[in-house]
Amino acid sequence: MKLKNKISIFSAVIRLLLLVIMWFTLSFVIKKVAYKNIENTMIEKRDKFVNRLNTSEINAFIERNDSTELYVSFSNLHSEFLRLYRSNNITRPKDYFVNESRKVENETNEYRVLYHHFSYKNTNYVLEIGEHLNEVDELLDKFHLVILLLLTATLIVSHFAQSVFIDYLLKPFQKIIDTKINLINEPELFDHSKVHTTTSDFAVLDDGLNQMMDRIQEQFKKEKQFIANVSHELLTPISILQNRLENLLNNESINDEGVDKIVVSLRNLDTLKRIINNLLLISRIENHQYSNFESIDFRNLVSELLADFDDRIEMKQLHVLNTVENDFVFEGNKTLIHILIYNIVFNAIKFTPNGGSLIISDSFEEGRYCIAIADTGKGMTEVQLSQIFNRFMKINLEEEGQGLGLAIVSSIANLHKIEIKVSSELNVGTTFRLVFPEVKK
Amino acid sequence: MNVLIVEDTKELAVELTDYLAKSGYICKWVASCEEALEEVSVNQYDALLLDLGLPDGNGFDVLESVRNSKSKMAVIVITARGELDDKINGLDLGADDYLTKPFALSELGARLYAVIRRIHGFTVNELDIHGFKIRLQDYKVSYQENAVALTKKEFDIFQYLVLNKNRVITRLQLTEHVWGDVLEVSSDSNFIDVHVRNLRKKLDKHATIEWFETVRNVGYRIIS
Repeated sequence: MKLKNKISIFSAVIRLLLLVIMWFTLSFVIKKVAYKNIENTMIEKRDKFVNRLNTSEINAFIERNDSTELYVSFSNLHSEFLRLYRSNNITRPKDYFVNESRKVENETNEYRVLYHHFSYKNTNYVLEIGEHLNEVDELLDKFHLVILLLLTATLIVSHFAQSVFIDYLLKPFQKIIDTKINLINEPELFDHSKVHTTTSDFAVLDDGLNQMMDRIQEQFKKEKQFIANVSHELLTPISILQNRLENLLNNESINDEGVDKIVVSLRNLDTLKRIINNLLLISRIENHQYSNFESIDFRNLVSELLADFDDRIEMKQLHVLNTVENDFVFEGNKTLIHILIYNIVFNAIKFTPNGGSLIISDSFEEGRYCIAIADTGKGMTEVQLSQIFNRFMKINLEEEGQGLGLAIVSSIANLHKIEIKVSSELNVGTTFRLVFPEVKK
Repeated sequence: MNVLIVEDTKELAVELTDYLAKSGYICKWVASCEEALEEVSVNQYDALLLDLGLPDGNGFDVLESVRNSKSKMAVIVITARGELDDKINGLDLGADDYLTKPFALSELGARLYAVIRRIHGFTVNELDIHGFKIRLQDYKVSYQENAVALTKKEFDIFQYLVLNKNRVITRLQLTEHVWGDVLEVSSDSNFIDVHVRNLRKKLDKHATIEWFETVRNVGYRIIS
């Protein structure tokens, strides 16, 4: 998962959590404030009422000293009430608030009620002051809704703002990934220009990458130069030796023994030449010195190739079945692709006993073109199979060649992003399958 | 036939000269671009063997100058680099053929013969060897008006040996000529022997071929 997405998800979760907490807290606080407000009003009323008690006509009510008497007063719309009665209980706290339902003229309503206990001239009284709660609750509900909406809106807006900002912030990082990290296997194509950023971490990363790639490119250049030098410095003396021995061979004064030695020397020289040429080829491929890609038609290529091998096929009396038939055009280096298939077919012929079979076919596997080269040769063990692409690897020592054929195959396949799948069974045969990269549309 | 050899490695030039002189070419050797440019402007040559990596410049400069002079000189480019780019460039610039070091002298001989024949439009489109006529333009061989049916590889081998007649041609040289510089093909392939055996059988039906010699352990030779 991308860093950007991780940050987005994390902050979205945190924000959602905050929203829930905020919502609960705000609801609680607002409710408290609202109640406090009501309670303050009620306390004011109580004070007014208690002060008036000393002087007003209600004195009469208390003078009557009738414990059953009640003084009750309701406002017209039942939004508030006052109630005064004698009490014998003096253990209760002096002042407290409760929520209570009261039935007034067949109408039940929720009230906030203040209980006020006091003594007046050695008599205990209870004063109840009630405030209607319906309106407050309705108001609170509306508040809740508004808060919820506001918080949600904040959440959404801040989420988008953050996404945009993170995008902007990570832009240099994304650029480093797109233009540098993704091309790390192709130092030739590496872009050394600095990525513009004010974030120091990215600048450090970018600088580090540039330095690393500079060094790699330097190495590549050196290797290329080395290869060119080796090719010149080694092949020139070989050239001289070979031509001198060839001239000597036609010199009448040399006896049979001399001729034999010259021929053996020429053969060794030829082996040396082929090894150098093959190593140079691998190096050149791995240095991306083969860039001219063109369209390749495998039907032509395979039939041309088999025509080239006709004598070997005939002499070994191999049954060859070529069913390459699909329309597939591959963009690649023709010389290299030819070498790739040539070496595989060559091996197949080499390791198949007289009278065996060689089958070359093509197909599409999950949309990817695939060429299979199967033989009924001597096959390989698991261990041998795991080593066949190593340089100088030979299945057995008497075998002709230098063990570079499949190393070359592997280099060419890598360059063209072709996947090679090999399956083999001892004394049954081997199948090489070349799976080509998906065609970009 | 005058051949100018432009090659900075003296020892190699000596071997080339030695070989070509025995084939009847008159050779002149120079070791630098400058000398080469002077030589081609002063003297008339039929062919130029041109090494690309010269101490005082790139062999391509010489090639360009030769082509700009509208000279009908046959040019064979020789290089140790053997890079594909060079190959394409060489042929684009008007080299008639291209050889990568190291190459067999017999290969050079055959190529030089073919290039000169093509450039100078010689009427000799037929090689004659003891009554066998090899038609170079359409790869046909006949004996006294009777066609000898050869495969392409047999024709290649026969022609190669005839072009290098009176010389021993090793199996190696023949292998490389027929299969090219194919990378993993083993140098000492006995497939050449099979092809030669078949070729001799076909020729033997028409006339005795005691002039087609097998040189013990080495290869083959055709005596004219």
